[in-house]
Amino acid sequence: MKPAPFEYAGPRELDEALDLLAEHGDDARVLAGGQSLVRLMNARQVSPAVVVDINRVPGLDTLGLFGDNGSSTLRLGATVRQRTSELSDEVAAHAPLLAEAGAQVAHAPVRARGTVVGSVAFADPSAELPAALLALDGLVKVRSRAAERTVAADDFFTGPFRTSLAPDEMVVAVDVPVATGRTGSAFVELTRRHGDLPVCGAAAVVGVGDDGRVSHVRVALCGADERPVRVPAVEAAVLGADDPAAFTEAAAVAADGTSPIPSCHGSADFRRHLARVLTARALRTAFARATSPKETTDA
Amino acid sequence: MSTVEEPRTEARRWVGQSVPRKEDPKLLTGRAGFIGDVVLPGMLHGAVLRSPHAHARIVSIDTSEAEALPGVVVVLTGATAAEHVDPMPAFCAEPVEQRAIAVERVRYPGEAVAAVAATDRYVAEDACERIRVEYEVLPALVDPVAAMDPSATRVHETLDSNIVFHRSLDWGEVDADLARAHTVVRSSARWHRMGAHPIETAGAVASWDPFGQSMTVYSNSNFINFLPWAFAGILRVSTNRLRMIPCAVGGSFGSKHLITKVISITGALSKACGRPVQYLEDRADNVAANDNVGCDRIYDAELALAEDGEMLGLVLRIIDDYGAYFQFAHGQHGNAVAQPVGPYRIGSVRYDVSCVLTNKVQQGFFRGAGADPGNFILERLVDKAALEMGIDRVELRRRNFVQPDQFPYKIPTGNIYDSGDYEAVLDRALEIAGLDGWRTEQERLRAEGRYLGIGLATCQERSGYNASEWWFLYGDEAPLPATSTPESCKIDVDAMGGVRATIGCPLWGNSPETVVGQVVAEEFGIDPSAVSVVYADSTSGAISAGPGGSRVTIMLSGATRGAARTVRDKMVRVAASAMEMDPEDVECVDGVFRAKGVPGTSMTMAEVGMRAHLFNDGTSEAESSGLVAVHTYDHPYFTPPTDDRSDLGAFYPMVSHACHIPIVEVDPETGEVTLRAYYVVNDCGTVMNPALVEGQVVGGIVLGIGAALMEEYRYGADDGALETPTLREYLLPSMHEVPEIVLEHLETPSPFTTYGVKGAGEGGRLVAPTAIASAVDDALRPFGVWVDELPMTPERVVGMIADARGDQR
Amino acid sequence: MPDKVRVRITVNGARHDLLVEPRTLLADLLRGDLALAGTHLGCEQGVCGACTVIVDDVATRSCLVFAAQLDGSSVRTVESLAAADGTLHPVQRAFTQEHGLQCGFCTPGMLMAACELLERVPEPGREDIEESMGGNLCRCTGYQNIVRSVNAAGRLMADRTSSEQSGVRA
Repeated sequence: MKPAPFEYAGPRELDEALDLLAEHGDDARVLAGGQSLVRLMNARQVSPAVVVDINRVPGLDTLGLFGDNGSSTLRLGATVRQRTSELSDEVAAHAPLLAEAGAQVAHAPVRARGTVVGSVAFADPSAELPAALLALDGLVKVRSRAAERTVAADDFFTGPFRTSLAPDEMVVAVDVPVATGRTGSAFVELTRRHGDLPVCGAAAVVGVGDDGRVSHVRVALCGADERPVRVPAVEAAVLGADDPAAFTEAAAVAADGTSPIPSCHGSADFRRHLARVLTARALRTAFARATSPKETTDA
Repeated sequence: MSTVEEPRTEARRWVGQSVPRKEDPKLLTGRAGFIGDVVLPGMLHGAVLRSPHAHARIVSIDTSEAEALPGVVVVLTGATAAEHVDPMPAFCAEPVEQRAIAVERVRYPGEAVAAVAATDRYVAEDACERIRVEYEVLPALVDPVAAMDPSATRVHETLDSNIVFHRSLDWGEVDADLARAHTVVRSSARWHRMGAHPIETAGAVASWDPFGQSMTVYSNSNFINFLPWAFAGILRVSTNRLRMIPCAVGGSFGSKHLITKVISITGALSKACGRPVQYLEDRADNVAANDNVGCDRIYDAELALAEDGEMLGLVLRIIDDYGAYFQFAHGQHGNAVAQPVGPYRIGSVRYDVSCVLTNKVQQGFFRGAGADPGNFILERLVDKAALEMGIDRVELRRRNFVQPDQFPYKIPTGNIYDSGDYEAVLDRALEIAGLDGWRTEQERLRAEGRYLGIGLATCQERSGYNASEWWFLYGDEAPLPATSTPESCKIDVDAMGGVRATIGCPLWGNSPETVVGQVVAEEFGIDPSAVSVVYADSTSGAISAGPGGSRVTIMLSGATRGAARTVRDKMVRVAASAMEMDPEDVECVDGVFRAKGVPGTSMTMAEVGMRAHLFNDGTSEAESSGLVAVHTYDHPYFTPPTDDRSDLGAFYPMVSHACHIPIVEVDPETGEVTLRAYYVVNDCGTVMNPALVEGQVVGGIVLGIGAALMEEYRYGADDGALETPTLREYLLPSMHEVPEIVLEHLETPSPFTTYGVKGAGEGGRLVAPTAIASAVDDALRPFGVWVDELPMTPERVVGMIADARGDQR
Repeated sequence: MPDKVRVRITVNGARHDLLVEPRTLLADLLRGDLALAGTHLGCEQGVCGACTVIVDDVATRSCLVFAAQLDGSSVRTVESLAAADGTLHPVQRAFTQEHGLQCGFCTPGMLMAACELLERVPEPGREDIEESMGGNLCRCTGYQNIVRSVNAAGRLMADRTSSEQSGVRA
């Protein structure tokens, strides 16, 4: 189980990296943490001609707030490690869902190398972080030699391990609007074994208005469709609710119209079942956290 | 044949102590010398191209592009490999030929179709990518029941049917017992195939000398000192020109007894180029094609009971999916009939087994070796009987246990149980588990809508196999009706009094050096750390079946004590001669040879050693110079089967016993099963080394947790593709899945073995799966769930609950 | 063949200036070029953790890193632990005291993961150990004694530190 030959490039500037992508396109792969890419290369499921190692590109390790008043958006650059994100005070304060989902990715040594952006760009339909990004209304910052663009997470994930990224583009950062008001979030998942990719996972963000009713809600799932998905039908059903009992009912439609990819860890039907169960749990916990910040576990 | 341990007259000093493990320093420092660490001058590296198809005809293979790649030295197909090596040895009677590299047809996904030797592994894999194979895909047989249909495609044209073996045997009056029973409990069960998956894969380095027509093979195989002639046969080397050298083995759990495919491929590559070649399975090779897969059984079983719960008779009808080949025959069923009745006085047994061939990798051996599903089905039947008859599950077991005064106890199949006190084990287990507290906790959680379950299983662990289990289910047609499973140790004391033990078994992850050190120390009264232990290669004559069937401590302590006593007795004679005394008046105490009752008259080990080596005075009759002895210890209690197989004889008579009580919590919505606590009381006779035995039992339990919850080979229902090709799909338990395991021992020494030891290597895995199944049942009793299939994956648990609810509605 | 890449790397304190094929995995560089065979490969997929080494103070799967990435890095392997005179490192001593190994194949990875954990968290709880070492698979021990070993190693290292400190004071 050894990788095929490739050319290694270790650019010291972002433009240099983008030049390489412009030149090699589909034949090149960006290497950040490598915890998925090198695995696939070892198995020769991926054999790029050129590997562009971006770990030495300055500026990609940004982690912090910016925007209106300097603090409306949390940005994580392309080489920010999952472990760094998970342990960051700013992430904990402003995007706790990202920290909670991140802590459920693999184990500490894998997260110490793996990057948040790498997980997003890899777009594994079962992975935690893409679903969390969806639930947070995250934005994907994309660069090529020619242009820079921002893609809403919902438009970024197009299929299993597929994104709207063009061959000459790379993700330079993800942006997440910071949580405001009475907001709670939760990420719950079922894994066959702790640290494995979830069979299914649910991310929920719930904002509660002064009247105690749900004023903002996002639900996103992993392992429940061909890509990480938002679940608008559940969101619509939950909006305005003020009773956790409504969440279970709303979650009943979580899997409607989805096409989960079956595997040895769970059939499509089982993944649909889990989507319903976990959506209800994520909503209940997020709501509880929004209404009573000390509440941390599933009711 | 039986030997009886002499009464224990004096306290033992080293046997029974947790002495430090001799094997550790080299393992802790990365210096143990695993097969992957072997480097020979000019050594090439092998890689194997494997079939993506479960069943296909090989239309053509084009290796030209691979051969042209710089760094590639040899490319072999099945046909060209056959110029160098012969098919694998078959221990079955049926005409099922298997070659390490397939010829004309592949019969399971991952079967080898070509092999490469190149300057490094990377280049060897580059070459594999450049081999062009054209396949004609054939229908894949995945379901063993469908494969039994006479109209099914045959896996082997040489057979009339995919049912490669069928036999039904009755021991005792089965029909009469069924007829007179008050209740006959019936259960089906499905035990899926699981794999051993040691963290180190199988590998070999072969070095062919074309001038001397000799071969040296390094490997992590076990049987180098047991069946070296079988390897010589494959490799087409004279048995006396093959030297097999053991390496430290990174775990086996039964999977590395022979590793004939790996050795055959490595040997063929070396013969083809005349250079040393190393071939190590990578994980993909290992999962797909190593012979590390255990039983794959469908049970239809009945237990007949009298009104008072007395167990009368047992019927086991079994379909076992053996995969594409039948190299090791049905030894796993020979194994199972060592203890089909468990710890219970069941008077009759019907064992009806059909071995079926399908398009999967063949079965090999995996910790438990056939008795694992046997314990599962038996304990499931007992629990079901308790439920159906309204008898408490503990009470039902109690009523049927073989009693302490009934040993040695002969079970219907003919095997003997040597000793035990099953009720004492059960009582102690109930005590340490604090069952009342858990029942209270269960009620409390149920009120919260949570589901706690308390499991219970009381099972046997047969240990110390005899080779007859491999073949006695055959009649006269058995191809190799072997009756020996020897173990050897050579002890030599040098002129300076240094003691060295040379053993025939390899280091397989257990602790042979430590055990040998303890036994030598016991016999000479020296410190175990003073004993040096080395591993023999196949030229030593130290014949050894090695670890397997929980035998190695039993057998090695017998072999070591035999050799140690021979040398010690000679040293007594030498010392007596030197001190001008009668040997009867000289004793060996604390490593000193002294005159009994005469303080001050003594000789040290070194003084005796020097005298024996260099100062043979010719006065002691028939004493040659030197201090060396080889002792081969044969099976301590074996009797042959009768011709009609109405009595299989005693073949696995050292029988350990355990009671496991796991506590689980089940999330009925997600199907997740979490172990909360685990209690064990184990009786493996005299505990040679408590720390090591605990390590074996706990390690075995965690494999059992894997069997209960996680581990399963899966193949695509339509195309037979392997759906679990890496450790991301085939799941091994991690630290997270393991609760605190509380373990205690009771000791009923075996009357048959040296020091009274019995086996402890497999017990954990032999008991845990069925115990955990019983716990999940208990947790989900409000739903009426009955567990009859392992592993209990989240999806299966949710499905079982849904089915049970559907039944109730 | 692609151009080789220059890698200046410190391994167990020894500096190396190497030209490597870009695809050479760190594990193979260690085992092959540098003849440090104590680092073992179990799955080459990052699942088993047997190949864990410490790269720039972070526990790292050496099967998922190319040597070419490590120009300027410092790597520690199991060979760095024991002294040349045979004195075992406290983590190694703890593993043998608590019987935290059987076949020993996963052990180098366990030891390096444990070292890195103990450098960060001198008195780890069960959760810390699981989070750092739960991805290191062992098929022999059942993990119970590995957890005990890590706890014991923490105590041994604390003893060593305090005795060194008191030595300085004296």
